Amino acid sequence: MSDRSPIEAATGPLAKLARPATFVALVLLGISFVVPFVWQVLISLSDRSEVDRLTETGFPSRISLDAYVRVFDQVPFAKYFFNSFFVAGWVTLLQVITCSMAAYAFSRIQWPGRDKVFLLYLGTLMVPGVVLMVPNFVVILGLGMFDDYTGLIIPAAFSAYGTFLLRQFMLTIPSSLDEAAAIDGAGHWRIFTQVILPLARPGLIVLAIFAFLFNYNSFFWPLILTQSENLRVLPVGLLQFNTTYGSDVPAIMAAALMAMIPPIILFLLLQKYLVKGIQLGAVKG
Amino acid sequence: MIGSGRKRLLIALAFLLPNLIGFLLFTAGPVVFSLYMSLTDWQLTKHNQYSTESVKFIGFENYARLLWGDESHLFWDYFYNTVFLMIAIPVSIAGSLLLAVWINSKATPQKPKSKMKWGMIGLACSVAACLGAWVLASPSAAQDVMSTRSGMTDLTEYQVQAMQRNGLVLFVGIVGAVITAGLFVGQMFFRAAFYLPTLLAGVAMFLLWKTLYRPRGGLINSVLDPILGGIERVVVNTPAVIWYGTGILLAFATLAFIGRSMMAGLSRYKAKETGGFALFGRAFILATVGISALGMSLVLVQLPEKSLLPSGYESFDQATILAIGDEMKGVEGVDAAEVDLIVNALGEGASRADTLSALLSDPVLALNRASVLEAVGQRSERVRRGLTAGHETERGGLQPPDWLLSSRWAKPALVIMGIWLAIGGGNMLLYLAGLSNIPQSLYEAAAIDGATGWQRFINVTWPQLAPTTFFIVIMSTIGGLQGGFEQALVMTEGKADTIVLTYYLYNLAFTDDFQLGLASAVAWVMFAMIFAMTAFNFRFGSRLTNE
Repeated sequence: MSDRSPIEAATGPLAKLARPATFVALVLLGISFVVPFVWQVLISLSDRSEVDRLTETGFPSRISLDAYVRVFDQVPFAKYFFNSFFVAGWVTLLQVITCSMAAYAFSRIQWPGRDKVFLLYLGTLMVPGVVLMVPNFVVILGLGMFDDYTGLIIPAAFSAYGTFLLRQFMLTIPSSLDEAAAIDGAGHWRIFTQVILPLARPGLIVLAIFAFLFNYNSFFWPLILTQSENLRVLPVGLLQFNTTYGSDVPAIMAAALMAMIPPIILFLLLQKYLVKGIQLGAVKG
Repeated sequence: MIGSGRKRLLIALAFLLPNLIGFLLFTAGPVVFSLYMSLTDWQLTKHNQYSTESVKFIGFENYARLLWGDESHLFWDYFYNTVFLMIAIPVSIAGSLLLAVWINSKATPQKPKSKMKWGMIGLACSVAACLGAWVLASPSAAQDVMSTRSGMTDLTEYQVQAMQRNGLVLFVGIVGAVITAGLFVGQMFFRAAFYLPTLLAGVAMFLLWKTLYRPRGGLINSVLDPILGGIERVVVNTPAVIWYGTGILLAFATLAFIGRSMMAGLSRYKAKETGGFALFGRAFILATVGISALGMSLVLVQLPEKSLLPSGYESFDQATILAIGDEMKGVEGVDAAEVDLIVNALGEGASRADTLSALLSDPVLALNRASVLEAVGQRSERVRRGLTAGHETERGGLQPPDWLLSSRWAKPALVIMGIWLAIGGGNMLLYLAGLSNIPQSLYEAAAIDGATGWQRFINVTWPQLAPTTFFIVIMSTIGGLQGGFEQALVMTEGKADTIVLTYYLYNLAFTDDFQLGLASAVAWVMFAMIFAMTAFNFRFGSRLTNE
């Protein structure tokens, strides 16, 4: 980790200035990334009548949590939260199960036609999501899953990308381990659950984070597939809230802030895995 | 291996089955289904369980309608919007690389200083305590004059000052916290801070930006307004010739610099001193610098006129001049004859369009015209000041835009937000990983050759990161062509200037008429575009990266 950066490597009269200048630039950028969120907090703590002059005063005359109370008063915000967690949680669980099993079949078992089927999986990764929007809508209508939790959970419970990710992970586990287990008389199910899964844990966590974050933020499908108020997930509920109470800026900001908190907590707890996962995902390119 | 081939197949299928069913039902099947749908006139309001009408196969009619038929006008408009928003992609990729290089440099610690952890927590606590104290101490019902500032009549002057003091303390606290975190937590802090927007990108984030972009009372314009006001004051009080001259000089200097650098780069490439990818990097940086410098010169040339224009007028055209003249004559104490003089002088064709076209064709003539305009303009400015005496807040035409509300600035606003959202995201993390994989020996070899920092970057870092850049460009273009739906729906409520292709598809398929066939055709046209762009990237990119 010594002289890695070209900026550090600079020679000449400017070299001494490079390091502090870079630090100043980083700090300025850091501030510009933090300030909008602080501003959001400030607005959410202000009175409705004060929003317009907040830029002049820089601070509300009185800190109040009224906006947060209004959010819960005006819409079933707790229900939105529950729906988001319920849907994202189930999708994550099912994706980890289906993808790890499929990845096992693709990486640990030799069977005729395996590579062809895997190529089909890879091929669909290239297909842009927009192509699937319309036909999936028809399929979900046909299966009677429109305006129902199942319509939000089941179609998202299978992922070609997740299968690919976990297969790559499982390929790095030495095959001598499951061969030894097989000699001890273990079947595929036992090898899968007792040898491979524990060793693939980092991969499972990466997939789980991705699946949860993606589905927690998911907006398009819930917007199309749900109608009833009590099925609304957070993003859809936020949009609805904005259309109805758009002039109540503190409440909007309070609602948006509350929706942002779970991903932040998840990120702070599992930052290491997330970063690894993103860097791992690039391998497919 | 356990069992025979047949048995293994069965076992594998058992493992695969849950995923395979979903895959066929919700991914592979729909792709084929979608292609079929795009060739039909399927419309949910016409073809459903309550009607007997059957779906007709109409061949490529949907595609014809989109590409050159009666829908083509909309389709290409929205395609233009989509591509416009994709300007954010190259800018944010370059920014990601820059951020990665900065974060990775020794300017900030690579690992948190664990000894300092407690000190940091302590500092954070004290900052929080400070803030709390200020908030609690802020006066509530002090007995002094009510503030006369607009919109604050219910607050006393003392209260307003206390609020401003609190705001200042908070800002200083943020700056201090960022500096402390940068010094002691280092790389990890900046990585997390820059990643935050990407992590939270979604409806909530777009609502936040919608608030930031509010023309009045929005954070962005409240920062821009005093800056532009200052510039305006400076411009109004200096001869316009300076601004025209600087603008033209800058443009010429930029063109000369670009030409020189391009020749130098090409000759180096021919002499095999640099690779193709390094040349591409140079070209990209040159293009960026060139476009921003030329844009800057355009801004400089327009500055005097924009600043002198009273607010509310678009440009110095004939109608504007007459209107301003009438407005001035209506003011007490203004000499009508002087106003007529100004109006006539300005009306003699020194309009903005004329000035610009003259600038492009004959710089000398333009300078003469410019000085006329400037002399007249300053007189009109004096009169305007008389007109607006007593209103200190009255400003000229150099004002922050209305962003999302204006048709001209809505797309640029989304581009700026897009850059902010993506710059520290996954791309930066990929570049960080790429940087840590560059063999140290390469830099050592370059150091022995006496390479400067810039040379090391363009000849070692940049080519070594070529595969990463290649991957990022491909993924970003794929994402960019499909993106923009949420912004259009949340931030501009489907205003025509910001409708992207995905939004168009959504409108066709899921609102109004449920035209599933036509919407599927939109999806396949987009697929074809994505495929073509990816293929182009592959051909072009692999040639460059493998050199």
